[in-house]
Amino acid sequence: MTSLELHDIWKAFGATQALAGAAIALKPGEVHALVGANGAGKSTLSRIISGQVQPDRGSIILDNKQIRFSNSRDAILHGICMVTQETSLAPDLTVLENIMLPQLALPGRLRWRVLRTQGESLIGELGREAGLDLDTPVGDLSIGQRQLVEILKALALDSQFIIFDEPTAPLSPHEGERLFAIMRRLAARGRGLVFVSHRLEEIFTITDRVTVLREGKLVEGNLPIGSLTQGELVRLMVGRELQDVYGRRTARPPVPDSNPVVLRVRNLACPPMVRDVSFEVRAGEVLGLAGLVGAGRSETVETIFGLRRATAGLVELNGQPFAAQSSREAIRAGIGLIPEDRRGQAIVPDFSVRENLLLAHLGAHAGVGLNYSARTAAIRELLTVLDLPERRLLDANMLTFSGGMQQKVILARGLLLSPRLLLLDEPTRGVDIATRSSIYALLRRVAAEGMACVVVSSDFEEIIGISDRITVLSDGVTVTTLPSHLMDVEKLAMFAAPRTSAEKTHTVLTDLVTRQGGMAYWIVVDGGRVFCFDRVGTEVAADPGFATGGFPLLSETSIASALATPSTDFVSDHDGTRWTLLVPILGQRGHSFGTVGLTLARPPDGVDAAALSAAIVGALSDPLDLAMTETGQFA
Amino acid sequence: MKADSLPPTSPPPLPAAKPRRTFVGLLASNIEIRMIFVILIVMLVLSLVSPYFFTVKNLLNMADQSVIVGMISLGETLVILIGGIDLSVGSLVGMTGIVLGLAMRHMGLAESFVLCLGAGALAGLTNGLVITYGRIAPFVVTLGMMSIGASLAYVLSGANSISDLPPGLGTLSADTVIGIPLDFWCLLIAYAVCYWFLTSTKGGRTLYALGSNREAARVVGLRVAAWSVIAYVVSGLMSSVAAIFLASRILSIDPIGGQGLELDAIAAVVIGGASLFGGRGSIIGTLLGVFVMVFIRNGLNLLNVSPYWQGTAIGSIIIIAVLAERLLSGTRRRA
Repeated sequence: MTSLELHDIWKAFGATQALAGAAIALKPGEVHALVGANGAGKSTLSRIISGQVQPDRGSIILDNKQIRFSNSRDAILHGICMVTQETSLAPDLTVLENIMLPQLALPGRLRWRVLRTQGESLIGELGREAGLDLDTPVGDLSIGQRQLVEILKALALDSQFIIFDEPTAPLSPHEGERLFAIMRRLAARGRGLVFVSHRLEEIFTITDRVTVLREGKLVEGNLPIGSLTQGELVRLMVGRELQDVYGRRTARPPVPDSNPVVLRVRNLACPPMVRDVSFEVRAGEVLGLAGLVGAGRSETVETIFGLRRATAGLVELNGQPFAAQSSREAIRAGIGLIPEDRRGQAIVPDFSVRENLLLAHLGAHAGVGLNYSARTAAIRELLTVLDLPERRLLDANMLTFSGGMQQKVILARGLLLSPRLLLLDEPTRGVDIATRSSIYALLRRVAAEGMACVVVSSDFEEIIGISDRITVLSDGVTVTTLPSHLMDVEKLAMFAAPRTSAEKTHTVLTDLVTRQGGMAYWIVVDGGRVFCFDRVGTEVAADPGFATGGFPLLSETSIASALATPSTDFVSDHDGTRWTLLVPILGQRGHSFGTVGLTLARPPDGVDAAALSAAIVGALSDPLDLAMTETGQFA
Repeated sequence: MKADSLPPTSPPPLPAAKPRRTFVGLLASNIEIRMIFVILIVMLVLSLVSPYFFTVKNLLNMADQSVIVGMISLGETLVILIGGIDLSVGSLVGMTGIVLGLAMRHMGLAESFVLCLGAGALAGLTNGLVITYGRIAPFVVTLGMMSIGASLAYVLSGANSISDLPPGLGTLSADTVIGIPLDFWCLLIAYAVCYWFLTSTKGGRTLYALGSNREAARVVGLRVAAWSVIAYVVSGLMSSVAAIFLASRILSIDPIGGQGLELDAIAAVVIGGASLFGGRGSIIGTLLGVFVMVFIRNGLNLLNVSPYWQGTAIGSIIIIAVLAERLLSGTRRRA
C-alpha cells in the first residue's frame, strides 16, 4: 500500500507568495479533487507534486519516507506523473513514439517490437473506444485524443499517482465523459489520481475526496465529497472574508432605464467560440458575462474590441452601428479593454511603469512628440485612487511586481483614456484579496460616474458580487440575462450548463416530449421564482409560462399550483387545462440538480406517473451511463 | 489541519533600489558607460602597442571606416529593436551602389542619389511587407533578399566594377568641417536624429513596445504593422546611404562592395547591448559598438595580424563581449 503526502508546502515566485502552508495526502484507488479559486495555488502545488517546481520548504513523504524531487524526472522515477493542460507532446512523432518518449532517457538499446507490444496492451487498458492508432502522428489527433496519449504516457511509466490539471477544459462533452470513465477505471485498478478543476459539477461527479486551497493555504484536507454540498464547497473555496469585499451584498438600486444604452450586442457570431451572443449595457451599469472556460466570453469582448472579426450579428455603440476593424478604432470610439492574459497581452516588460501606463497614448493622439508630461496630473490622481506608491512609478521592471500591483497599473492604463465603455476580462485573476477589494471599489466608482462596464469572470461568486446584471453564456450562446440579486452560485452553475449534464438533461427532455407530447423543462424553484435552464416542446397549449433563461415569479407562470404543491403525481393547475408532473433530481451523492418537469395539455390518463418519475431519475442519476436514455424507457 | 494555525504570511518587502554613486556603481548601472570604459581601455592598449594608432591620420582613417558600418548599423538597430533581423543590408549596399554608378552616367548627382536611395527603400519595403503581412520569419525573407540583391548587382553591372564616377562625388569624404570629414559629420547627425526619434517620439517608443510585447502593443491600438514595415524600409534606405558614402570614399563601385557588412552591423548592434529578442537596445550603444568593431579591425591591421586570423579574433571578441555583458548586467537581462 503506497501513499503520498505533502506537508506545509511554501513557495514564492518573486514577490508573489504562491503557496503558504499547503498540504495534500493521496491514497491509491481514489480520485482526489484539488480545488480553489483562481490564484489559490492549485497549479503550483500540482507542479510541486510532479517535481517540476521545488518548494521553498515543506516535506514530501512517499511510503513514510521523506523524499526530494529535483526535477520532474525524479518524480517520474518515483511513479508520479502529471497530465498537463497544455499537452507536452511532440506533434510530428507517432503515438507510439510519444508514449515511449521517456524511454529514450533510459540506458540500453530501444527494442521497438517490445515497446509496440507494450503500447498495444496499454491501449487495451484504456479501452478500445478511444480509436487510437499507434502509428498516427500526434499532430493529426483531436485534443481529446492527445490527452489520452498523455495518459498512456503516464501509464507506460507505470505511474502510481497521476495528476490531471484541468483536463476537461478543452474537451467536448462526449470526450469529457469518456475521460471520466477512464479515470474511474484507473482508480479501480489501484492508482491514485489528483483531479484539479474549478468546475463543481465535475468535482461532484468524479472525485472521492477533496482538498481545498485558498490564497496558497490549506483550508480543508481530505474531506469526503459526499459530506459537502456545492454551496459549502464554494464557501470553502472563496472564504468568508470575500462576502464583504464586493461592498454591499444587498440588492443595489437598479440602473435607471433613463440611462442611455451604451453597448447593444445582437446575435454576435465569431466562430468557432462565439455563436449567438446578445446583451446590452447602460451607462453606469456593471454587466457580468458569466460562463465556463470555453463558453466564448473572452472571444466576445475581443470581437467587440476589434481584435477578432465578427461573421454575423450587430454591435451598436451609443445607438450607432459599430464594427471595429482594429483595437485602434475601438479605442478611438471610446472603448477600453483590460485583457485576460496580463503577461501576454498587456505588460511591456522592457518599459517602466510610467511608459506602461501611457502605452496607449503612443497611438491615441496626433503629433510626433511623446508629451508625457501633460499627463502627470492625471496619472498622479489615478495612483492615489488605486493606492499605488508613486515612488515606484519609474521602477524599471513591472515583472517584479505582484500580480495585484501589475493589474492596478493595467487598469489605470485603461482608465487614463477615459473610455465610455470598459471591457474587463478576468480582472482579478492571480490578484490578492486586498487588491481585489480595491479593484471592485474602483469599478463601482467609475460606474457611478457613468461608465458602462462589462466584466468577464470565471469566479461565480465574484461576478454575482460586482455586477448589476449577469448575462450567462454557454458554448458561445447567450442563455439568459438576469439581475444579479436573483442569482446564486448554484443557479449560475446550472445556467452556465456544465456541458456534460446539460446535454444529458436535454436528451431526456427531448425524449419525454417525443413520447408524451406537451412541454418538458429543467428548472430550479427558489425564492418564489422559477429559474428555467432548458425547455423542450412546441405544443403551445402546454406552455408552463416560462422559457429557457426565464425567471418569472411563481404566480406569473401557468402552472402555479403544481409548483406550489409537492406531489409525486400529476397536478392540475387552477384552470384545469394543464397537467404537470415535477420530478426532483438528486446527484449521486445526494445534492440537488433542480427539477425536471413535464406539462401536458390533456389529462394524463394511462400515464404511470410513478414509473415515469423513476425512469427520469434513473436516466439522470448517473451522468456516465449514456445507454439508458438511448434504450427509450419512457414509452 | 487548519489554516489558522499557520504563521502569518506577508511577503518580505522588496529592497528599494538604492542609487549608488560610486565608480563601480556607475559602471554597473549603464551599458553605454560600460562601453565607453571598454573603448578607452582598447584605445589605451592599442596606442601602447602601436605608436601609429594615436596619430591624426589613423584616427581620421578610422572615422572614415566607421561611416559605412555605422550607417547600416543604424537601420539594423531599428529592425533588431522590433525583434527582427535584416541580413540583406550588405548585398543591398552592392546593389544600390551599382544603381548609383549607372544613374550617374545619365543624370546629375542629386537625381542619382534619389534613385539610389529609392532602390534601397524599395528593397526594404519589400522585406517589410512580406515579413509583416506574409507572416514569414525575417531571417528567411531577408536571406532571400540578400541573394536577390547580390544577383541584381551582378546583372546590372555585368559583373564589372564602375569607376567612371563624377569627381564631385568625392567631396563627401574629402571635405572637412572643423578638421573632421564631412561623412563623419553625416554619421553623427544621423545618429543624433535617430536618438531623438527613439527616445522622444511616439514612433520610436512604439518600436520598443513592439519588440518587447507585440500583442500588448496591438491590444492598446498601436500601429503595429505600419511601424514594423517602416523599420525595414529605414534599414534598406540606410544600405543605400552607406553605398553613397562607400562610392564617395573609394571613387569606385564594386558589385560585391558590401559583402559581409551585415555581419559587422549585427555584431555592432549586439555588442551595443541590444537583445535579439527585441525591445531592448540603444542607438548610442550601437554607435559605440561600431567604434569597438572599427578599433579592433584597425588594431589587428596595425599589429600585422594575418587577415586569415582576423576573423577568428573578431568572432571571439564578439562572443566574449556579449557574454561579459550578460554576466555584468546579471538579472536585468530578459528573464
